[in-house]
Amino acid sequence: MEQEPSRRRIRMVLIIVAAVVLAMVIQLIRVQFGPYAPAFAAIEEIVAEQVDKVEPTRGVIYDRDGRVLASNVPLYYLEVEVRQLTETSKKQIAAVLSRALVLPYDDVYGQLTYEWVDEGQLRIRLTREISGGKRWPITVDQIAADVLKGFLADPDAPDLSGLSLVPAPSRAYPAGSLAGHVIGFVNQKGKGYFGIEGYYDDWLVGRSITIERGYIPLEARLRPDPPAGVNLVLTIDLDIQQMVEEILIQTIEADGAESGQVIVMDPENGEILAMAIWPPLDPNNYEPWLPPEERTDEESEDDEEEPVINPAVAGQYEPGSTFKVITMAAALDAGLVTPDEEFIDTGQIEVGGHTIRNWDGRAWGPQTMLGCMEHSLNVCLAYVSSEKLGAPMFYEYLRAFGIGKMTGIDLAGEVSGQLRTPRHPDWTESDLGTNAFGQGVSVTSIQLLTAIGAVANQGVMVQPHIVLEVVGPDGVYWPKTTVLGQPITRETAETLTEMLSKSLSGETNFAHVPGYQLAGKTGTAQIPGEFGYDPRWTVASFVGWGPVRDPQFIVFVRVDKPETSPWGSVVAAPVFREIVERLVIMLEIPPDSIYEGLNLEN
Amino acid sequence: MRRRFHAFQQAPWRVQIRLTSGTMLPLIALLIIGGMYLAVNARHARAGRHVLDLQRQQAELLRYNAEMGATLAEMTSPERMYQRALGLGFRYAYPSEIEYILLEDYAPPRPFVAPRPPASTNPGEGMLSPAYTETLGEWFLRWLGW
Repeated sequence: MEQEPSRRRIRMVLIIVAAVVLAMVIQLIRVQFGPYAPAFAAIEEIVAEQVDKVEPTRGVIYDRDGRVLASNVPLYYLEVEVRQLTETSKKQIAAVLSRALVLPYDDVYGQLTYEWVDEGQLRIRLTREISGGKRWPITVDQIAADVLKGFLADPDAPDLSGLSLVPAPSRAYPAGSLAGHVIGFVNQKGKGYFGIEGYYDDWLVGRSITIERGYIPLEARLRPDPPAGVNLVLTIDLDIQQMVEEILIQTIEADGAESGQVIVMDPENGEILAMAIWPPLDPNNYEPWLPPEERTDEESEDDEEEPVINPAVAGQYEPGSTFKVITMAAALDAGLVTPDEEFIDTGQIEVGGHTIRNWDGRAWGPQTMLGCMEHSLNVCLAYVSSEKLGAPMFYEYLRAFGIGKMTGIDLAGEVSGQLRTPRHPDWTESDLGTNAFGQGVSVTSIQLLTAIGAVANQGVMVQPHIVLEVVGPDGVYWPKTTVLGQPITRETAETLTEMLSKSLSGETNFAHVPGYQLAGKTGTAQIPGEFGYDPRWTVASFVGWGPVRDPQFIVFVRVDKPETSPWGSVVAAPVFREIVERLVIMLEIPPDSIYEGLNLEN
Repeated sequence: MRRRFHAFQQAPWRVQIRLTSGTMLPLIALLIIGGMYLAVNARHARAGRHVLDLQRQQAELLRYNAEMGATLAEMTSPERMYQRALGLGFRYAYPSEIEYILLEDYAPPRPFVAPRPPASTNPGEGMLSPAYTETLGEWFLRWLGW
């Protein structure tokens, strides 16, 4: 009788234990065979894949004052574990995404209801249709991701079971299209194209590493960080870049031009302070600029004319009269002419059977070499190259100025231009005459700027460059100024600068900035076509530098196919003046009178 | 003889106690050791979970940081600042409007140096406390100071 209560208690305990065990068994069966079994199986599969590739953070790009030009922002792909989807969640995911991201409901719902499992796909990345019937993964920014995460965490929110947000690094360019051609862009796969992103891709990207995944708490370890990419500080000054781009856009609009370029460089060390290109490239919307094989837009693959990324380094043109600076520099340096040497301009000269005339067809009569430059006389310069210099010496000087060679600027896609020398099978003697005033020779804008930069820098030609600082985990590296050569002597450079300074205050007074002695040369180049030079269009350009006493900037202006006037003196020279008026303030360069006054006091 | 036998028979509890003690002691020892293992493993798992949480938090914070950095850069981009300056009534100055003052010992602003990117790290096993990896025997030896 006394044992009865204890037996009952034992029985009760056993029943409770049995119930607990039964509950556990039921739960195990649910996990193994219930509706969420595939999801658990999927997790198991993920855990089974023990290795994971960890991508390092791509280096940040700054302007010279530390303003961010390119950084990394999170972007989220929308992925769906198809075995976790329910009928309700399919509808609600489609409804939420179509509303929040302005996507067609049927398109999203169609992807969710497709029989992916039959094709062996258990996890899909949602896509949207873009032009040409092709599809592109849907991406959402942090704000949209936060909203969706809120829905996923809230039991009262729409049922988004099966949806997950997968973060992926993405490149952001806060300054938009400002200096876009200089920076280049990074595609969705993280590959850098063009400009700095392309040239320094290997340095910026860092090195990915493979690690074991740490899903199981007992196996959690501190993860190693992959070697990050370097941060780059550019020579670009964003304020100057902004100012230059603004003036260039105004010019393009006012003159009805097709395109244009402005480059501002420090001639002493080759630092590019600004490089403005029109039409602009917005690295945030790089799709039209992708190489054809990378593009998803079928229509653009058929375009006859591919857009040139950074035509200042990757596009070549016949420079026209700005090239006369190099011809005159060669003749002065060789001691074959002096600024005061007289030349009788008859309005035409025959070189190699080809008759060369002045830009206005006129005969300008007796002229000094200074007058030849001031009035930009083709006949005179053809005389200098053919009668004074001769082909061997002329082309030797052109090579010394780097014509026909790449400058080595640290931007992707540079081309070398085209220079036919007497060794070239297509060279004719008439080239000697036409090359003297920039016809029959192709250069890139950066090449011409570098060559003329030698005149501004006492005869020393330095390599243009964009990167000022390379900052890696181990320290900071400042690329040194690279001297490409000294094509002319210091005396020649000073003499020519004086000549061009006088000529600037003469005919091309559109470029004159009161208070500052500047030097420069206009250019009006015809555009070669399949059937000779196009009579309708020109390339108006100007290259100038200052202050003459101590040049701190050299500015190249180029306006392609202006409608208002074909002349460089009318179209490009005023742009130079407008830029220099602001540039001297930004660079804190006092007028010559103040500078001279300070020197006197000192 | 009979009395002695009876005396032996009268103390079966002693045998039972001895048997029970002999069985229970190793069992209890095993249970204690098992409990210790369980406790250490539970701590290990908790720490691991904490590490995983911290890694997730770190990744999330880095993403937010990057997002905010990009937003800040976008809000202070030259185009925006220029438009804002125009809106406030400013305009570009002309050279003739600038006054230059000679300052003794003027130090120009220092050139900007970008922050260094994070160095590659490989923590390895050495950074984990041995409490999470050592065996009971190792712990015991450590406790004894051997």
